[in-house]
Amino acid sequence: MGVFSVEIVTPIKVFNEDTVKYLRCPGIDGSFGVMKKHRNGIIALDIGELKIETKNGIEWYATSGGFVEITDDKVELLLESIEKSNEIDVKRASEALERAKQRRADNKEDIDSVRLEASLSRAINRLNVSNK
Amino acid sequence: MASLKDIRDRIKSVKSIQKVTSAMKMVAAAKVRKAQQKMEQARPYTLALEEVIHHILPDINRDDLDLLNIRDIKRKAYVIVSADRGLAGAFNSNITKVAEKEINEFGRENVDLFCIGKKARDHFKRREYNIIESHTDFWNDLNYDNAMMIGRSIIDHFTSGKVDEVHVIYNYFVNMAQQEIKSEVLLPLVYEDEEFEAKDRLYEPSKEALVGSLVPRHLNIQVWKYLLESYASEQAARMLAMENATTNAGDMIKSLTLEFNKARQAAITTEMLEIVSGAEALNE
Repeated sequence: MGVFSVEIVTPIKVFNEDTVKYLRCPGIDGSFGVMKKHRNGIIALDIGELKIETKNGIEWYATSGGFVEITDDKVELLLESIEKSNEIDVKRASEALERAKQRRADNKEDIDSVRLEASLSRAINRLNVSNK
Repeated sequence: MASLKDIRDRIKSVKSIQKVTSAMKMVAAAKVRKAQQKMEQARPYTLALEEVIHHILPDINRDDLDLLNIRDIKRKAYVIVSADRGLAGAFNSNITKVAEKEINEFGRENVDLFCIGKKARDHFKRREYNIIESHTDFWNDLNYDNAMMIGRSIIDHFTSGKVDEVHVIYNYFVNMAQQEIKSEVLLPLVYEDEEFEAKDRLYEPSKEALVGSLVPRHLNIQVWKYLLESYASEQAARMLAMENATTNAGDMIKSLTLEFNKARQAAITTEMLEIVSGAEALNE
């Protein structure tokens, strides 16, 4: 199985994985996998989990969305945030989840439902990934 | 002439002020470095995002996207980036002055304000400007979420048609000794038309949807950049102000010490005169 390199770029850090065998991304229209020699393209990503299979094993990350740009020589992930499964602050995530649930239960009129749903799914996603 | 004790007390208080100012200078220096580091870290993301946008934009009809719409300008929003704290020279007063002038030129009743930092908020609140939102108390713990939050509310305000143009006024960090107040148009986005050859590649979900979610992200990173520039400028301005204050305190200590020595000398002289004249009187 061929390996390729993945570059993960966020506003606060940049890092590389050079021996990736398989990458699974949370696309807007559903998860998809990327392997060597994938067709070039730009694909929008949703809140969800990233699975990166390298020579050294499998790693899980939680992301809040962004893009992936696939070119011949590398795959570049442009993400607004990324957290490795073992670095997720579970306490903070569950607090955020509780807060969002509470706000939904209050059901005030001026509530911004899009934003609320987004923060709910971000919190759920982070908790899910932290269990990987 | 002030008494010896008065002068001694003043020297003491100036010395303790000097200690405070020089400590603040050190802290500000460390914070400038941190902000600069964050600016460095954000650069690859900004560049990569811009590149992607430039790749797709030629294939997009600008009228389809709210954030690229150019409308007649009836109302404007101003985002004013100031600091939470003072003691940074003229940092805050300069920016509010520039902002106030620009706002009044357009007509303050047609301007909505987004105030970032306590100083701008307090200034414009006191003068009863139309403040829509203010964001304060996050500078110490500055992270990307702040930028995303501010970016989102600005975008909402623009796309809902409440304003037709969004300006940002912030301090641009030129170097340690120099900050420049800049006023830029944030929305509607204007890109230079550059020719890129269309490549054969996959766009998912669609090019339009991609640009639709790329552009807000691009705005968020712009806001992040403004926050960092302003933060670095604030700390640099504070560093300079505190450096000056420390030097001034030093000068003051010097002249007070001189005065103290003179007063002490005068006291000794008087005392000696008294003793001598007393002795003279005994001899007679």
